[in-house]
Amino acid sequence: MHRTDLAAALLILAGCGAVYYATTTFDEVSPLFADNIGPAWFPRLMLWSIAVLALALPFEHRFVAGGRRRLDEERSDRVKRITFLTAVLLFIVVAAIGLLGMALAMVLVSALLPLLWGERRYRVLVPFALLFPAAVALLFSQVLRIYFEPGRFGFAFG
Amino acid sequence: MELLAYGFGQVLDPFNLTVILVGVLVGVTVGALPGLSSPMAVALLIPFTLTLDAVPAIAMLAALYCAGTFGGSITAILINAPGAPPAVATAFDGYPMAKRGEAGRALGMATVASVIGGVFSLVVFLVATPLLADLALQFRPQEYFALTLFALSMLASISGRSAIRNLIAGALGILLGTVGVHLTSGVERFTFGLHELTDGIHFVPVLIGLFAVSELLSQSRTANVAYERITSVVIRLPSRADFLKVRWTLLRSSCIGTFIGILPAEGATVAAIVGYNEAKRFSRHKEEFGKGAIEGIAGPEAANNAATGGAMVPTLALGIPGSATAAVILAALVAHGVRPGPRLLSQTPEFVYVIFAAMLIANLMFFALGLGGAKVFSRVTLIPRTFLWPAVFVFAIVGAYSAAASLADVWVMLIAGCIGFVMQRHGFGAAPLVMGLILGPLVEESLSQSMILFDNNWLRFFESPICLAFFALTLFGLFWSPLVAALQRTAARA
Repeated sequence: MHRTDLAAALLILAGCGAVYYATTTFDEVSPLFADNIGPAWFPRLMLWSIAVLALALPFEHRFVAGGRRRLDEERSDRVKRITFLTAVLLFIVVAAIGLLGMALAMVLVSALLPLLWGERRYRVLVPFALLFPAAVALLFSQVLRIYFEPGRFGFAFG
Repeated sequence: MELLAYGFGQVLDPFNLTVILVGVLVGVTVGALPGLSSPMAVALLIPFTLTLDAVPAIAMLAALYCAGTFGGSITAILINAPGAPPAVATAFDGYPMAKRGEAGRALGMATVASVIGGVFSLVVFLVATPLLADLALQFRPQEYFALTLFALSMLASISGRSAIRNLIAGALGILLGTVGVHLTSGVERFTFGLHELTDGIHFVPVLIGLFAVSELLSQSRTANVAYERITSVVIRLPSRADFLKVRWTLLRSSCIGTFIGILPAEGATVAAIVGYNEAKRFSRHKEEFGKGAIEGIAGPEAANNAATGGAMVPTLALGIPGSATAAVILAALVAHGVRPGPRLLSQTPEFVYVIFAAMLIANLMFFALGLGGAKVFSRVTLIPRTFLWPAVFVFAIVGAYSAAASLADVWVMLIAGCIGFVMQRHGFGAAPLVMGLILGPLVEESLSQSMILFDNNWLRFFESPICLAFFALTLFGLFWSPLVAALQRTAARA
């Protein structure tokens, strides 16, 4: 039995259980539509399908070409710290959109993500962090007429 | 003939031509950049196209699809870094040729083979789409259900490490498609009191998250990798001798690519690998493969570009995507209020001819650009990743937001991206999830309609010969891969 896949299968089964519970909280169907397939029927069918397939996951290495090695190809190395930090930064930027507005959030990610990834050529970084988001914001707000959240500071390139 | 003239008339409009040129330029650039993919580029461009009419918007995306598949060959040949998965097989012989100073010859063959494959499949597209749509018009809900089930079963065999994982991802996509108000009863499903989810999960943010953000997280591991500089390349059209050597390979691969493209869910990557293998199998000089055989470039390049035209056949005629990029284009069509399927051809047949004309023009454009500008495009790999991926994320947040001017969609994109990253690590592909998300509502609708017609007696599905045929194909699709693997193991043991 493949331990990682066993854990993945258990996680999927737990998720299926939680979502299945959510299907029991759907509103009652009007008697007019009672003869039709109910709103919970199809999602439950999918959940059962996923659950049955998940049960096979821990044993899959036995019948897949290439076996365990092929299945573990991409996950063999641990997720690096930089990936976690990148994800955290992306969450911070998206959370900051409401406060800073879309334009400043774009500047923020254009400056911080290259820095996080080790970029230190400030002569390129500073113009990039200012001009690229400005160009994108102008394109979308002026040419494509998309309204951007100005945020608390009321700043938008457009 | 009138419709064809109408299609070309629309596409030759200066604005539409410019839009197609932009699609081709973006496509070749994205195709040439390792890590950026056609589905990602199409997903990022959808919000941009929402401000355009349906015709230029879809023409642009279709052009990007064609050009993106070709673009991958440039970096595959020059620096052994396939810009897109369909170009993986091109690198096997393209890079050895470049190393021995024949990069121009290899690029010339890749360009010509791509155009021949692409144009061949477009001719098939033009003939097959109306025929298939006519056939599909006779389908009742039960046959449609059986067809979509077959399409979903094909997920088991699309590129990826495992059939089971592909099917789980596909089922998860279908499940996500059920979020929102249930059409038959009006009951809200999985909205958890959030009014943003009442209309369901929007395609665009999910697509951007799965294709762009998850890839960004993957690329964070190799942010400092730099590709080698390209030396001067003069691209040459294939010589008469080269062309004669590969003429049957081109024809064979064009047929293979078109056929694989037409199969639901199978895309250019599978076509390229099969095209390469078949080129090798039929070659008189098998020993040259892997060391710089010209047929090793013609085979995969003709096949992967032929798959683009082929993939549009089920996408437009049946509303069932022929590949991951076609799935994203299908989502774009829906976003533009166009519902692909047999009725598209009976109600607005001109739309199909516009797409045909746009893809044909795109092929001719990337032929010119490929011959004249491959060296320039190959230089895009010199853009540092530390700037490229932040730029992709800027486009991602703007794209996710602008689809419905909603911050909630930006969160959906980010969460989809993180989930996509974890799924990708564990072998659950993004493409099956997207296919499931798009096909899900169609499956549920046709199943509900069938059950109403059958008075909830599901055994009546087996009364239709078409249903039976599709069910048989579904079983074949599900069990083919494990069966082949088992046979291979048995053969290896013997």
